[in-house]
Amino acid sequence: MTLQSLTRDWEPMAYGFLDASAKREIRRKLLKAIAVPGCQIPYASREVPMARGWGTGGLQVSCTLVTPRTRIKVIDQGADDSVNAASIRSFLARVSGAPTTSDTLEADLIQSRHRIPEERLRADQVLVLQVPNPEPLRPVQPNMSIARQMHADADYGRMWLQLYEQIVRSGRVMQGAAYPSLVNGRHVMTPSPIPRWDVPKLHMAQHLTLLSAGREKRLHAVPPFTRVEPLVFDDVPYRVEDHRDLTCYRSGARGFFMNEIPQADGSSLHEISDSDLGVKVIRRSEGEAVRIGETWYAGEEMP
Amino acid sequence: MAYVATRGGERAIEQSQRLYKAQMGEITPDRVAEIRHALPYLIDRVMGEASLYDEDLAALALAQTGGEMYEAILLLRAWRTTQPRLAVAEPVTQESLFTHRRISAAFKDIPGGQVLGPTLDYAHRILATDVLEGNSHRPDPVKPAETPSPTQQPSVAAWQAANGLLTAVTPDTTMGNDIPDVTREPLLFPAKRAHRLQSLARAETGGVLALGYAAQRGYGQAHPTVNELRLAEAEVMVRHPRGTRFSAGRVKVSQAEVVSDKGAELGLGFAATLGWNEVKVIAAATLDLNAEGAPKGSATEEEFFLYHTEGVESSGFCIHFKLPHYVTFQSALDAMRDAGASARPEDATKEPEPAE
Amino acid sequence: MTVMDAPRLATTRPLLTAQGLSLRYGSVQALCDVSATVYPGEVLGIVGESGSGKSTFLRCLNLEETPDQGSYTLDLPDVSGNLFELDRFARRMLCATRIGIVYQNPHLGLLMKHSSSGNVAERLLVAGERRFAVLRDKARGALDASEFPLDRMDAPPIELSGGMQQRVQLAKAMALQPALLLLDEPTTGLDVSVQALVLDTLKRLQQEHNITMVIVSHDLGVIRTLADRVVVMRRGAVVEAGLVDQVFQDPQHAYTQQLVHAKL
Repeated sequence: MTLQSLTRDWEPMAYGFLDASAKREIRRKLLKAIAVPGCQIPYASREVPMARGWGTGGLQVSCTLVTPRTRIKVIDQGADDSVNAASIRSFLARVSGAPTTSDTLEADLIQSRHRIPEERLRADQVLVLQVPNPEPLRPVQPNMSIARQMHADADYGRMWLQLYEQIVRSGRVMQGAAYPSLVNGRHVMTPSPIPRWDVPKLHMAQHLTLLSAGREKRLHAVPPFTRVEPLVFDDVPYRVEDHRDLTCYRSGARGFFMNEIPQADGSSLHEISDSDLGVKVIRRSEGEAVRIGETWYAGEEMP
Repeated sequence: MAYVATRGGERAIEQSQRLYKAQMGEITPDRVAEIRHALPYLIDRVMGEASLYDEDLAALALAQTGGEMYEAILLLRAWRTTQPRLAVAEPVTQESLFTHRRISAAFKDIPGGQVLGPTLDYAHRILATDVLEGNSHRPDPVKPAETPSPTQQPSVAAWQAANGLLTAVTPDTTMGNDIPDVTREPLLFPAKRAHRLQSLARAETGGVLALGYAAQRGYGQAHPTVNELRLAEAEVMVRHPRGTRFSAGRVKVSQAEVVSDKGAELGLGFAATLGWNEVKVIAAATLDLNAEGAPKGSATEEEFFLYHTEGVESSGFCIHFKLPHYVTFQSALDAMRDAGASARPEDATKEPEPAE
Repeated sequence: MTVMDAPRLATTRPLLTAQGLSLRYGSVQALCDVSATVYPGEVLGIVGESGSGKSTFLRCLNLEETPDQGSYTLDLPDVSGNLFELDRFARRMLCATRIGIVYQNPHLGLLMKHSSSGNVAERLLVAGERRFAVLRDKARGALDASEFPLDRMDAPPIELSGGMQQRVQLAKAMALQPALLLLDEPTTGLDVSVQALVLDTLKRLQQEHNITMVIVSHDLGVIRTLADRVVVMRRGAVVEAGLVDQVFQDPQHAYTQQLVHAKL
């Protein structure tokens, strides 16, 4: 045995950027998270070459999972070409040598900031959501260690109280995005700041969803076929954003979550937020043979 | 064509980086060496907040980012993540430090003496504008004292403990990989002592100063006296797998001990960091001193000051607000518009939404 | 008591049995072998000066504190054993659903900046109610029964007077029709006229719903108005116990005599 055989040349960067001990810790914490759906698992959370608050949590999970064959898709607000998504995608490709794609159907790993693609994900796909604030109880309890005890006690009275008072004050629940949801009937989690439109996609899904907050150092998971139920009163139904009747002015797609584009004359146009789906719809209308997957929303209401 | 427009993102970010870098021009090894030589205190501050001691890398980070400190520190912290850990050095004791500067505000004189060392404390802060007119400033030669000050200094707190003024801290004998490491484990509360001290060691100077200042001005319970402030060098002793003990080099360290009257005896606060950074260690030691008994949820509570003095996290989150938030905004508008349709004027007050 | 009230005979088992509670804080013996029983529909008063341990005893009955020794049982369906041995989860659920408490300081019992109806609703939510209309109705009903003005049902307690705050506490405590209602100096600190009104409400509620109550007070008048039986505490121990009229008219223990002669 020689020193040569025991050691490796120094490299300026490990495969997938994170060194082996970082990946091992994350793997173990992910397994814990999957074993207790919706429960926040603290992790060390290493710094990566991107500012905190810009997706370092999602990035650490993706770096841990990536292999040279993983097909990677990255979106921000639903768009592959947004500057932040482009930056993360190129980083992942650079540190892993893995191929990238914008097609939801082609991807093995999808890292996303604040949206779930409209095409249904399959059992062989993993969705990684970027989370700014992992603690759904923060509006009622800013102190993290007290909140942690509340989760352990399933002490969610204050959370429900907040929803009650929103209805009393405003006639409806005012929670916009990041709607607090009960996972597997036990832990309340934040689904990350995805719109209400996207939360039903997590319920009894075929795919695995991992949610990671780099700055706050917590990750949680929704395993496949797990109940995810937004906190709603039995007699005040959950309401998604009123986008059913909106049409994308560029692609003509209808009944998907839209971006509102204010116009100079005071009106608004709408554009489909899932930009790759919009592109596929345009290409199909131009005669190309593109595969569009089955969507959660069949263009109208949720089946 | 529709999807050509959607590829604009990558081009835009490439050019934005070029615009930034164009400001600095060519980054040469000479420039890096000049920064290292010319700006030792900036290098020290950056190494301390990056919690990575390498003056060349710190100088390079500053050169590469044009002096944008948060960017430079992030570069170094990210570098740290991708490098393997080879060994854990032996613990360093105060008494073994090679001490350049050591002063105490608690007593007029102390065993080992009050050693001013390198400082601007007593200088007149006047800009040397004649340099801009073309003249150089050559520093006056240092006149050595007749007897050199001791290279090592005993601890003031040890004397106080021996005199029953405070309870000596029990030394922690945990070694090697058993030492809790905040870069390898999540920080939970109440924090382990090692985690708290490590977090303060790598805390952002401005943040620590702001909160320490608030504590000193009366928001904290304790009024601090500087027991000891030290600027020193520590020997990094490492053990080779075959058993040989050797020094991997010396690193500059600063530490501060502050005390206050806590009834029957003195309470002690402590902080240390890599590099020489007096403001940070005094402010951090003040926060440490005030943490015991701080009311839950107050600004002097450990959970508050450790969370909010983490520079990479705080600056990153601050600037993340520049990222597009139009989906969450759209969601909020939807709820607002719907509620607005049946709004009651007296319901104008709304609970503030947490920042996302 | 009015002429129409018949004497209540102890024909049933006690609802609450506390036996041999002892608790020490450092060098202070806060409770020393304290025992008490309360029958269904009965009001037990606990009287004593500050430092007597009466509030500590009440906190034990609310499972907020665990004594060093002693047992506590409630005779209720699907509740058994010494309640001090319950785990954290079971303890919380029991308190949330079967025991109501009104504190002297409303800040302890209420979320001051949330709406009054919300304070009541929270109780129901913790117990598992998930229908908004029901929450609203029951909150309204409980506040109304506590003689709280319904036009202010969504005002936060912080904006209300002391008497109103106590009524919100009472509504919150009563919302789930608890088996046991605990009151710790509920009218102390209120204006005398307001005290009388709140006591009236408590009296009426107790009679209408036949609620089992344990009420702590240093004020013998309050005990006299509400309680059937009384326990006198001093320095952590029970010095005398019996029917209110008996104990106050014919106190046996020297301390009770002092109390009675000083106050009445």
